[in-house]
Amino acid sequence: MPKILKIIMQISVLFIFYYIGKTIQELFSLFIPGSIIGMLLFFGLLTARWIRVEWVEDGIDLLIKDMPIFFVPVTVGVVQYLDFFIGKGSLMIPLIILSTFLVILSGSLITSLLVKKDGHTYE
Amino acid sequence: MNDFLLGSVFLIVTIGLFFASKQIYRLLPNPFTLPIFLTSSLLIILLFIVDIPYQSYMLGGQWIDLFLGPIVVALALPLYRQLDLIKRYARTIFIGIFAGSTVGVVTGLIGAKILGFDQSLIKSVAAKSVTTPVSLSITETAGGNLSFAAVFVMIAGISGAMFGPWIVRICRIEHPVARGLGIGTASHAIGTAKALELGQLEGAVSALSMTISAVIVSFLVPFFLMIF
Repeated sequence: MPKILKIIMQISVLFIFYYIGKTIQELFSLFIPGSIIGMLLFFGLLTARWIRVEWVEDGIDLLIKDMPIFFVPVTVGVVQYLDFFIGKGSLMIPLIILSTFLVILSGSLITSLLVKKDGHTYE
Repeated sequence: MNDFLLGSVFLIVTIGLFFASKQIYRLLPNPFTLPIFLTSSLLIILLFIVDIPYQSYMLGGQWIDLFLGPIVVALALPLYRQLDLIKRYARTIFIGIFAGSTVGVVTGLIGAKILGFDQSLIKSVAAKSVTTPVSLSITETAGGNLSFAAVFVMIAGISGAMFGPWIVRICRIEHPVARGLGIGTASHAIGTAKALELGQLEGAVSALSMTISAVIVSFLVPFFLMIF
């Protein structure tokens, strides 16, 4: 099978799981995004070895390598709200920075206490 | 020019700018030359100066948007590859990420409320600590604004990458697992790139923390939005 065809099929697997996840979300009107449901399903099947990593990895790694390109159009969407960021919206920036600092602090402090308690050493 | 042609032009420009930005980042690595930041900024300036409506740009952009959901599914693969590391520190990792994620969601929500932002913005900031595709899925499900969410995620990523190593040093966090976990939970992929500079284990833990926190936050956001 030509390589390009293989990669297209491997990437199609992601679309299939995404639509399965989305269908489950809509069917049961869940608050969890369909994409996450699809991801957990895919993860489960990988862990159970029903899907082998070798079957899918080339295409997926290709996609992940340049993942940020997929966020460009959405991000460019702020062009519609530039006024907001010049005005009151600029307050969002220090808030997010502060919140980010608190996440780093709480996450690493608690983990650091736990590793000490559990006596994990690192090599 | 018809829509298809115009869309193709924007698609090609976007891809071209992205790969050019990647080259620039390689020569001059800096949070502000990150390809996502540079490409988006250049496109925003371009649309603004030439006065092209975003709707016209999206004739091309919509094709790229189709991948946003499936790319979340793709994150299962790197997570699976780190199963051994996850098992080794299972309890520690889970509690640490859960604590960090909760702090991120709650402080974001309370802060936005105190500052008097409207409901749509509060919903858009809730998932700012997690990797962009997941944050977009969560924000979409919650009914927030996707473009705002994407920018908020970028701010969390860049600020955490810039100051994360400094924060863990000042607080005398020495264990690589603790350092990587804090940075990955707060600043997703942008932070993970920085955590890798601290060390191999820091980078690996940061990468798995960003994926696990994404899953946890997708449960936390609808929960806390119901309470607040």
